[in-house]
Amino acid sequence: MLLLSGHCDQCGTCIAVCPADALMLTESLLSIDHQACTLCGLCVNICPIGALELKNEA
Amino acid sequence: MKRDWDIIVVGGGPAGIFAALEAVKSGASVLLFERKREMGVPVRCGEAVGKVDFCSYMDVDPRWISSEVNTFIMVLPNGKEVKLKSNIYEGYIINRDLFEYDMAARAAEQGTCIRMRCNVRELLKNAAGEICGVKVEERGELQEYYAKVLIAADGVESRLARQAEIDSVLKMKDIEPCVQATVSGVDIPEKALYLYVGTCYAPGGYAWVFPKANRCANVGLGINGKYSEKNRNAESYLRDFLKRFFPDAAVQRYIAAGVPVTTNLKVLSSPNFLIAGDAGHMVNPLNGGGITHAIKSGILAGKAAGEACKKPEKMQAFFDHYEKSIYRNFGKNHESQYRIKELVYQMSDEEYNRIGEEVLKIDIRKRSFLAVFRQVVKQHPGFLADVMRAFAGI
Ligand SMILES: Cc1cc2nc3c(=O)[nH]c(=O)nc-3n(C[C@H](O)[C@H](O)[C@H](O)COP(=O)(O)OP(=O)(O)OC[C@H]3O[C@@H](n4cnc5c(N)ncnc54)[C@H](O)[C@@H]3O)c2cc1C
Ligand code: SF4
Ligand code: SF4
Repeated sequence: MLLLSGHCDQCGTCIAVCPADALMLTESLLSIDHQACTLCGLCVNICPIGALELKNEA
Repeated sequence: MKRDWDIIVVGGGPAGIFAALEAVKSGASVLLFERKREMGVPVRCGEAVGKVDFCSYMDVDPRWISSEVNTFIMVLPNGKEVKLKSNIYEGYIINRDLFEYDMAARAAEQGTCIRMRCNVRELLKNAAGEICGVKVEERGELQEYYAKVLIAADGVESRLARQAEIDSVLKMKDIEPCVQATVSGVDIPEKALYLYVGTCYAPGGYAWVFPKANRCANVGLGINGKYSEKNRNAESYLRDFLKRFFPDAAVQRYIAAGVPVTTNLKVLSSPNFLIAGDAGHMVNPLNGGGITHAIKSGILAGKAAGEACKKPEKMQAFFDHYEKSIYRNFGKNHESQYRIKELVYQMSDEEYNRIGEEVLKIDIRKRSFLAVFRQVVKQHPGFLADVMRAFAGI
């Protein structure tokens, strides 16, 4: 599952690369649409400050 | 709150603000939505603009100008500085927060209705499948607003273009993750834009130091995942950079951001819909500058939208003209800049050093970007052919 594991600066960089349109910024947070997310990991790699993480579901 | 408008602008960055200002001039009713709670903040930008270009779009308030610069200094991987005397370059480091704040106020004075803390979630389409409005999240509630023309000026995080079925998803190699610290208590010897080139500073990008007033500076960098080390993000490179060059500086502002470094979107409009600024990837892909492109495209989009409201039957012609004007103004240049970027960002630190040393031998008065370019061509076997190919578009 894709998780926000660090501080997010709400910069929107991850949204620009998400092929599934699973990410969106609201007034003050990044929302993740887990149903749409394909776990491709592109957003994890592009985040300038490493705020996102892919975690195996336990 | 009024539901039906002539023009709705999404995004209150430079593209959106200037689109609104221009659209309102045509007599249209204009509504602008901005997701954030404050105009101009946070400043995700190096704030450097060319003086002549910037001043051509509006009356510039002196408060917006933090400092003036007149030189480029390229810092090589080996630490040597190559100063480029450019007698044509004059630039400003602006206070972008004040600039946007004031311009938004001007837009409001002219009649634009500005709504803050409104997140535009999706485009609305009518029975015929045409774009006719937006669904907006306003303090937790979803509301619908309608317009004859929608302008997507929603920046790098844009989702509206894809909803209009325009493919705007950026490839990893075409976006630079950036971090920037605005530091205080630093002494920068020259009124110059400092660009640090080479893998040792910022692989697949560059680091910048732009001096602001009162011993402050914007210190940032952008990298490219294709060239950076595994498991290292932009932040970790900036941490090293600050430790090395500004160990005692106090950080006043710290931001993350992304810059599209690609060619403009091929399609910038569809019926009732226009794209401006970063949402249309209108950034110079070689240096990452996008403020004036956002302004220019905003003005052109606002104009086209205003005309289309007056003469809806000619909308297609106005929108075609918009796309052509963007291409003529900078879209075409961005294509060659993109090809050059692809080439220079793969140069090794040794190559940068070698080229820099050669450029240093040239008399300072003749040391222009062109001179650097000539050295690149001379030093880098095959580069000339690559560049020729780049310009020829093969
Ligand atoms: C680190 C960095 C340094 C830079 N340095 C320079 C520089 O020195 N010089 C230069 O010329 N350019 C620079 N740029 C580029 C420049 O900042 C951009 O090109 C410019 O901001 C683009 O303006 P814009 O109006 O298109 O987008 P933005 O300024 O990004 O504005 C878009 C606005 O839309 C809002 N928005 C987005 N989605 C929604 C939604 N769904 N609903 C409501 N509102 C929404 C956002 O909150 C935002 O305020 C830099 C960029 C970065 C990231
Ligand atoms: S993992 Fe892939 S699909 Fe999921 S949010 Fe990130 S970029 Fe989008
Ligand atoms: S790229 Fe990182 S910091 Fe920026 S919005 Fe996405 S998760 Fe947040």
